Amino acid sequence: MSMGVHEIEDAALLFVFGYNGADSHPIVARRIVRAKQKGAKIICCDPRRIETARIADMHLQLKGGTNLLLVNALANVIIEEGLCDDDFIEKHSTGFEEFKEVIKKYTPEGVAERTEISAGEIRKAARMYAQSGRSMILYGMGVCQFGQAVDVVKGLANLAIMTGNFGRPAVGIGPVRGQNNVQGACDMGALPNVYPGYQSVTVPAIREKFEKAWGVKLSDQPGITLTNVPHHVLHEPDPKKRIHAYYIMGEDPAQSDPDLAEVRESLEKCDFVILQDIYMNKTGQYADVILPATGWCEHDAVYSCCDRGFQKARKLIEPTGDVKRDWEIIGLISKAMGRPMEYTNTVQIWNEVIDLCPGFMGATDEKLEKNACIQWPCRSKEEHDMGTVFLHKDGKFAHPDGKAKFAPSEWRPPQELENEEYPLSFSTVREVGHYSVRTMSGNCRTLRNLEDEPGWIQMNPEDCGELGLRHGELVKVRSKRGYCITRCLPTERVKKGATYMTYQWWIGACNELTIGNLDPISKTPEYKYCACRVEKIEDQAWAEKHVREEYEEIRANMGIQTKGGRAA
Amino acid sequence: MPSEFGLFVSTDIAKCSGCKACEMACFQSHNIKRNNVGKTVGTISVPVTPKLYVTVIETASMPVQCKHCENSPCKAVCQQKAISRVGSQIIVDEAKCIGCKDCLMACPFGAIALLPFYVGGRQAPQADSSGGKVAASKCDLCYEDPEGPACVRVCPNEALRLTDVNEERKKKNIAAAEALAVINAGDPGRRALS
Amino acid sequence: MLCIGCRTCMIGCVVAHEGKHIFEVDPDGYDFHPKLKVIKTFNVSVPVQCKHCEAPACMAACKSDAIHIVNGTVIIRTEKCIGCKSCAEACPFGAIQMVTLGSARNADGAPRSVANKCDLCQDQPKGPACLRVCPTAALRLVKEEDLGQTLKNKRLATLGLALGAEAQKQAAIGA
Repeated sequence: MSMGVHEIEDAALLFVFGYNGADSHPIVARRIVRAKQKGAKIICCDPRRIETARIADMHLQLKGGTNLLLVNALANVIIEEGLCDDDFIEKHSTGFEEFKEVIKKYTPEGVAERTEISAGEIRKAARMYAQSGRSMILYGMGVCQFGQAVDVVKGLANLAIMTGNFGRPAVGIGPVRGQNNVQGACDMGALPNVYPGYQSVTVPAIREKFEKAWGVKLSDQPGITLTNVPHHVLHEPDPKKRIHAYYIMGEDPAQSDPDLAEVRESLEKCDFVILQDIYMNKTGQYADVILPATGWCEHDAVYSCCDRGFQKARKLIEPTGDVKRDWEIIGLISKAMGRPMEYTNTVQIWNEVIDLCPGFMGATDEKLEKNACIQWPCRSKEEHDMGTVFLHKDGKFAHPDGKAKFAPSEWRPPQELENEEYPLSFSTVREVGHYSVRTMSGNCRTLRNLEDEPGWIQMNPEDCGELGLRHGELVKVRSKRGYCITRCLPTERVKKGATYMTYQWWIGACNELTIGNLDPISKTPEYKYCACRVEKIEDQAWAEKHVREEYEEIRANMGIQTKGGRAA
Repeated sequence: MPSEFGLFVSTDIAKCSGCKACEMACFQSHNIKRNNVGKTVGTISVPVTPKLYVTVIETASMPVQCKHCENSPCKAVCQQKAISRVGSQIIVDEAKCIGCKDCLMACPFGAIALLPFYVGGRQAPQADSSGGKVAASKCDLCYEDPEGPACVRVCPNEALRLTDVNEERKKKNIAAAEALAVINAGDPGRRALS
Repeated sequence: MLCIGCRTCMIGCVVAHEGKHIFEVDPDGYDFHPKLKVIKTFNVSVPVQCKHCEAPACMAACKSDAIHIVNGTVIIRTEKCIGCKSCAEACPFGAIQMVTLGSARNADGAPRSVANKCDLCQDQPKGPACLRVCPTAALRLVKEEDLGQTLKNKRLATLGLALGAEAQKQAAIGA
């Protein structure tokens, strides 16, 4: 995020695009609610009537898959109606003329039908955004989990640049990261193309710096992204380029990756699979070796909040069972592979990290101890540098010329649209009571009391009526790639023709349906759009029994102790 | 899905005219096979014994009938085990009933009466007694009739309805939630209390 | 408007009434029966719970002497509940839910189901748990004096508006 989370409540206008704070991050949702209490206006762009939409001044309930049409149309209005911050554009950006050329054709009238939002509403929203004086964009998976994702992010950034909403308090653009500490994973370089601190693996000087620091030879080629692993296990003809071993840490691909049938096949065919995690999960069933690790509050750690803020977390309780801390496990494996790692505590590791990353260098352990949160960049170890709350101060951007770059793109539709065989659209979503794939929250009993297998599919009541479905009835949801069984939830909060499921259930495993269409740059899959159909199950008694039995079988496979059918 | 709690018939008291069509329909539907009762009065050769009891005062009337309690006092006191739960409903097995009247006393609503029990046009014999059998008679929700409660179907004023507390609760909750929205409408603070 | 539909209030309610031991026993060994329920419609997300009416319809309907007003709070003594559902039927808000207890059975061994509703955490020293755990402070305990103060404020505001309107009218006439 270009701003700090705490700044959200000070914006004059919040432009919430494809982001569901109430279900993903209640603490961020609290900031959004506080912003409203303080008088902020809210524009919410989401195909569902999410909690933020309910309190918004405008809810642009767009049809899924039309993000860039709407974003470009908003830019079109701002340009046509002369609402740009010409001074900011002139001083701090490049590429505006080329940008205008592309945007010309995206008139509100032209996109109204496909986005299902009236031209009048688009104009009103554009004016509100451009004229508020302090507009902040918050976006989430509703932008990122499409085959056209990076283009939309750039499109949103274009809006901020052209209205001068960068480089001062309570403005900017913020991806509110989906997972707890995904920001940290990225900051630490758990990405195939960068070292910690976003330093490219292909730049020789950087590679040499790390080779020297670590005393090893490093590859000069970017690695393979998570979503490309199945291809490199199943379809790579050259055995030297094929993936033979898969070391999975704190992730459950057999639950959360798209097209689960393919994921399962790749896990089964892969020669060696290691799982390092805190609880047993779906992927663990395919692991050759399981390395049990400690969970939060059982170890010291540093997390990165979505707004780049480093925060220390301390050990509070002694772990039980035969578990080790993640860094210990990695150290032992490294030693066994011939390169010892002699750390004795996390502060040593942290000091090494910040000394190798210019952007983090000033985020010392002492400052973290004192300050609760240091937002990088924090470049100086001196006391005065307590990090950077918001980026691009004084209009300075990260490009070599110090200016923001306009980057327009043409819209393209999602890969798999509704068709005769699969007449409904399908998208994955979250819910607040369970976190992600439920490796942790599935083991919290009161959360399980609120929601348990096989989950729900949210459908418009009219669609339910046409299929003769009632609330709570078990249904089969099917796509080209597979099917799952779940319960019907008729709700007026979703549009006719659209369906939604949370991705956390084992029986109601909606990723059996999703499509692995990746954004060409970010490689994130198009979870938010594919085609499905919902089938009524006549024999409900059979369906209930089947769901129960499948649940028990999975638990038995995982070796989860059950008494009366329920684990801890 | 089958209901979790006992369904029961309730009355919209404003609509009941005290006509007792419900009592007749109840009696008839329970005696078609047992006592050959048809659709005309001429076919009735046994006493009319309904399982719901229209109760009248000067200003109102309504049938009183079993609420199919969850912790049913009548079931709890019946030592003959003549009263049991079938599905979600509380059912009296009249064949087992010895007419001890404990259930009648236990029911706080007066929904159980002791009435003559006729089979094949004749009063069934009472064990150990020369008198005819009387047995506990209470609403069984027409549980053996696929068309459901006869009283609901026959009421000319549509005053009776089959009640599922969970279904009704859902509707009431939605109305209550919408009302709260009205109370707290609009401004960022809380309008209800200022 | 502050409610984000997270249902933490429902969990807080159960933990307060059942006690922390529920985290230590077998997962099937405790009852999960929140006394309030978060309702989500097109327009609103909000918990619906007992309003502790001054003339409670539930109390009037109960033939088992199980419902009383104690310190201004409407309380169901579930030991006396025969599960007749009259109170649930009577409540216009659906604030009473019938629940099946895992922790108790009827004398004949059959499952015991009773009426369940908000009791304002009567026996909790810190008061209602729901409003303590709500992350957006969307819940508030309304006391008699709050109602009095609200009425006073609203009436004064109304008077103020009327004075303003009158002044404007006079100015228009004068001009």
